[in-house]
Amino acid sequence: MYLTETVAMDCYDVVRQLWDFLDGELTDESMDAIRAHLAQCRQCYPQFDFERTFLDALAATRREHPAPNMVRRKVLAKLRTAGLDV
Amino acid sequence: MTGTVPAAELHRVDARRFEVEALPWLDDVYRFALSMTRDESDADDVVQETFLRAYRSWHTFEPGSECRKWLFTICRNVFLRLRERDRRRVDYGGEDAQLEALASEQETQSSFGENAEILSHVDLGPALERAIGELPDVFRSAVVLVDVEGMAYNEAASVLGVPVGTIRSRLFRGRRLLQDSLVVFARDAGLTARDPCEV
Ligand SMILES: [Zn+2]
Repeated sequence: MYLTETVAMDCYDVVRQLWDFLDGELTDESMDAIRAHLAQCRQCYPQFDFERTFLDALAATRREHPAPNMVRRKVLAKLRTAGLDV
Repeated sequence: MTGTVPAAELHRVDARRFEVEALPWLDDVYRFALSMTRDESDADDVVQETFLRAYRSWHTFEPGSECRKWLFTICRNVFLRLRERDRRRVDYGGEDAQLEALASEQETQSSFGENAEILSHVDLGPALERAIGELPDVFRSAVVLVDVEGMAYNEAASVLGVPVGTIRSRLFRGRRLLQDSLVVFARDAGLTARDPCEV
């Protein structure tokens, strides 16, 4: 019963919700239904894989982008004038 | 009873908590500020002002809540005030409102078919970073908070002071624009899937 429900999930609905799914922003039921659909749909899986690779590449741009030392020094100096003992 | 603790001692404890809980987010706040200003000197100003305000309103921070989110919210407000000041000199018109309307339109076509090959062939980092920088601010802030900083939709919504549905539509529109930029990048670089042997 549950299985037939997930099997019946439309490709259109799956593709429409791929990003919500990848972001983990759906209900547990929808997450399960899409996961089940992707496991057996040869049409949707490549698109899922594409969007996942794309989001991974986006996340990787975070890199370590540390604040320059000068900015750090200025912040600490400002906080000291405001009374913080650093 | 806190009344029996000397004020100086309370201040010391508070200051120590600020040092331990807020200051370690300096790099994150700087990165977020830079993503909004896209100018290092402006980011520098925004970060200083953010930490000064944060320290002065430290008593309003709820212990145990997400300090990074709290700092980002202050940072966003500092940035908006700075931009507001600049806007009095340069008239931007209703650009943001138009973009917002664009974002709420039904999601555009996925560029999956065209892009599928590209992702597997190219180091996307530099192209993506440039494309993020070129996104209109309303989309860039959503993409940076959720996709780069890893926030949930509701956290990003709280930082930007908009409903969760707005984050979602801005985010999805921003992602599509990024994917479109990648297609253009790939074409310019001669990396279209048509002739992968030449890559
Ligand atoms: Zn399918």
